Amino acid sequence: MDNLDLLKELCETFGPSGWEDPVKEKILEELGPLSRLVREDRAGNLILTVSGTDHSRKVMVSAHMDEVGFMVSGIEDGYLKFRTVGGIDPRVLCGRRVQILHDGRYVNGVIGSKAVHHQTEEERSQATKVKDMYIDIGSFEEGEDIPAAMCDYGTFLSEFVRFGEEDRMIKAKAIDDRLGCAILIELARELAKNHTMLPYDLYICFTRCEEIGYSGATVAASVIQPDIAVVLESTAVGDLAGTEDHARVAETGAGGVLSLVDRSTIYDEDLIRFALATGEKHGIPVQVKKWVSGGNDAGHIHKSGRGVRCLALSAPARYLHSPSTVICAQDYFCMRDLLSHMLQDLQISDFETR
Amino acid sequence: METKSIKQWILDLCGLMSVSGSESYDENKLMELVRPFFDSVERDPVGNYLFLKKSRRENAPRLLLDTHYDEIGMMVREILEGGFVRITNIGGLDPRILPAAEVVLYGEKPVFGVIVSTPPHLQKPGESSKLQDVRDLLIDTGYTKETLEKILPIGSPVGYMPRYTELEGGELAGKSMDNKACGACVIKALSETDPDELAADVYVLFSAKEESSSTAGANVGAYRADPDYAMCIDVNLGKTPDVSKDETVELGKGISLTYGPVVSRKLTDRTAELCRNAGLNVQPYIATRSTGTNTVKIVLGRAGIPTVDVGLPLKYMHTYNEVLVLKDAEDLCRLVREFVCDARIAEEFRRG
Amino acid sequence: MVQELKKIMHIQGVSGREKPVMTELAGLIRPYADEVRTDALGNLIACQKGASKSGKTVMLCAHADEIGFIVTFIEKNGWIRIAPIGGLRPWNTLYREVAFSGGTRGVIVPDVGQDVDNLSFEKCYVDIGASTEKEAERMVRIGETLAVAPNLVRLRGTRYAGRPVDDRLGCAILLEIARNLSGKACPHTVYYVCSVQEEVGCRGSGPASFDIRPDYALAFDVTGTGDVPGATPMACSVGKGAAVKIKDGSVICHTEVVRRLRTLASERKIKYQDEILLHGGTDTSMMQGTGMGSKAGALSVPTRYIHSAVELFDLKDAQACADLGAAFCMAPEQED
Repeated sequence: MDNLDLLKELCETFGPSGWEDPVKEKILEELGPLSRLVREDRAGNLILTVSGTDHSRKVMVSAHMDEVGFMVSGIEDGYLKFRTVGGIDPRVLCGRRVQILHDGRYVNGVIGSKAVHHQTEEERSQATKVKDMYIDIGSFEEGEDIPAAMCDYGTFLSEFVRFGEEDRMIKAKAIDDRLGCAILIELARELAKNHTMLPYDLYICFTRCEEIGYSGATVAASVIQPDIAVVLESTAVGDLAGTEDHARVAETGAGGVLSLVDRSTIYDEDLIRFALATGEKHGIPVQVKKWVSGGNDAGHIHKSGRGVRCLALSAPARYLHSPSTVICAQDYFCMRDLLSHMLQDLQISDFETR
Repeated sequence: METKSIKQWILDLCGLMSVSGSESYDENKLMELVRPFFDSVERDPVGNYLFLKKSRRENAPRLLLDTHYDEIGMMVREILEGGFVRITNIGGLDPRILPAAEVVLYGEKPVFGVIVSTPPHLQKPGESSKLQDVRDLLIDTGYTKETLEKILPIGSPVGYMPRYTELEGGELAGKSMDNKACGACVIKALSETDPDELAADVYVLFSAKEESSSTAGANVGAYRADPDYAMCIDVNLGKTPDVSKDETVELGKGISLTYGPVVSRKLTDRTAELCRNAGLNVQPYIATRSTGTNTVKIVLGRAGIPTVDVGLPLKYMHTYNEVLVLKDAEDLCRLVREFVCDARIAEEFRRG
Repeated sequence: MVQELKKIMHIQGVSGREKPVMTELAGLIRPYADEVRTDALGNLIACQKGASKSGKTVMLCAHADEIGFIVTFIEKNGWIRIAPIGGLRPWNTLYREVAFSGGTRGVIVPDVGQDVDNLSFEKCYVDIGASTEKEAERMVRIGETLAVAPNLVRLRGTRYAGRPVDDRLGCAILLEIARNLSGKACPHTVYYVCSVQEEVGCRGSGPASFDIRPDYALAFDVTGTGDVPGATPMACSVGKGAAVKIKDGSVICHTEVVRRLRTLASERKIKYQDEILLHGGTDTSMMQGTGMGSKAGALSVPTRYIHSAVELFDLKDAQACADLGAAFCMAPEQED
């Protein structure tokens, strides 16, 4: 069934690195009765175990729950000073709507800075620094309680919108990596519905803190010690008008992207070959990333324990880490279907070490 | 029995030589000071010291208290004509304070030395505004090359001369209070706690190589200790007139607690509550990425150990005149005492 | 040693794609090992079991990977776009012959009008002699790795220059030690690890040492020297013996291991020198800091022009490393 409601719900949920609780609740809710198979590890990752026929073989699939966001670092004259959580380009901050979670309540705000009229010639030509911005959540009378405090977390406030020809495109915040979370939920539901018995134990992991590089996935992987790990992600693409062919990275609408090499991982050759073959066999579009950039949880997973063979399958995404990340809806379904087929076709003995 | 003052503890520990990589140099003195208050001690292959004080409770959970024991310093690279020594840095040295600094070179015996400095009379125009890389600086030892080669092997550590000064507002100034001042607070606290009071078996990690290595030290220590929960204690950047308030903590206003994605929020909240109940002031400090301390190494050392990150405010970090307020150190000492005795926290964070 | 070295230098193994060279190395070490295996990341792990029950575990490690490139894109006119893997700089790579893992040859050149001092590889390409995208696609595929063509020339005496000396020379030293120790009834268990992905940040040796849990660990690698014009002053020279590492950019070696190596070298009359490397890291750091930790050190071969096509070393230094390494395996513990 091709439906984007789950993705929409997840993207619109609040969950910056360090405060993923609302996302966890949402995931457990969506998993329904399957949530009894979920345990939370000491780092706060959610791990759903799908038992297979051979418990000595383990496959881990993971997506991170967190998104880029903010932390309130101080309050000055009723305005909130803040720091970014994860890598956000200061140029996508100015003038945005945001949400702060204070004491269990969501408080709306906008990111303010000096109006263009007041800026000097020099200021106008340069991006405003984060330390010169502030979050405005409204004005308060003297002595009134301000519904925000130092250490509160925040995220962008941005609706899930479908647009373009036949609504093929999606704009939302946090597609990185709620898209991966949505695919994993669908996968769990499908396996349960079909009573699929895989020839290995499958660990479906929803991890924390990918965006700050500390990575809950490190912990999940070292606890599970899988033979193989597949990381679901989104990857920044440059398929824009005017970009040279060799710098486009990948194309939206052409299926999930397999990374060869990025800044943190050199991916397993055999797994890449297997993923491409699976796509071909089942007629599911899949592409190879034609650029070396970025990094994800695989960087930690592959070095954990005695080492893990890793594959990253990513959605080609434009304007990553902004409130308006854009993807093509079709890629979501392609990734979902490819992952499902890969897990069913996987002959784990092909990947045994000698 | 009269207990040793926090000041004396700080002087005793900070005065030891423990440049990163050479943590065992003053091992005998360290053992004399610390060992009597613990049940056992282990020195591991990366140079960590792990002290254990057992609770009298049966089946007590395991608590790790980490304070790194190493300090920044230098290393001898080459011995030159006239008893001059070429060096390299160990850890993040502040190059502004090096010229004309007093140092000790720890060879077969300690050798006093002065880092060279060109006096204004001999400088070229504009030279005084430039900083020299530590690798281009020499140390003047006053020995001949021949003698020096016999007593100072290549690779010998070099540390700042230990000298301590009290200031007017209850401050103490001197070298390597980063981070042995925190170690002093932890040891003092445990030396005054009866095993009957301990809510957990307490592993005190004097971790090695915090200043010099991203791969060894607390991660190995935490892996070996395998605790249920942990507190990482390190100095935190003190407020001075030239830096903003939200990047620093204030001296004389008590310890700091770090908030951010890496630390255990629950354990941090419990610790804050504990401080409140004990009447200790807490300054919140934000770290949106890593904490800049051993915390991440501990958290990841073994499968996500819940860790709280505690800071002792310190000014002029990584100089030979770091400044702290003794009252803050007393606060830290009290916090540690309360924390190791807190049965509610111990039970809550015991592994399921 | 030279014949073997030449052989393994001529089989490609760019970081992350080491399989061909590992297969060769496995064949070469098998005669001397009780057990040979490959782990999930591709590390080659060979073991000689210790004769004594109370023996220690010693891990010796040299990385088998080399710096190189990966094909990212094929242009319409048949040019190959690439991305670097490991610490490559255009100024010591351009206008060289390159070899693709599939066998195709090409030359690496910059786009016209580039300033070579401030150039990134995004503005470079490989010309394989193809005129169209189709033709190129038959010769090279996206994701394939390539490296500057291997080469080893003998200069005067025992001095050689070529690539990739870093760190096939270390692998050759491991083979030499394995041969030396086989049948010697060494009381300690010795693991020989040819590691993967050292050039991209020492990613392979951590998992290998997590598995092996060594008491002692030694890395064998090349190190920079201070004996060329304009070099940062550094007391390490080609031809002056095995370099006993005290410190590099990523590690401070265990003092006991350093002392032991010095003592052994003096006792056995093996020529050695001290090494303090200001930049760069080695597998030593990962072996030291993984899992329970180990007492780690390293022996290096002083090498000029590292990461260029003319890495220059003296075979006698390599032999000294092998001799000292073997002596260490027989008796790693320092007696006071």
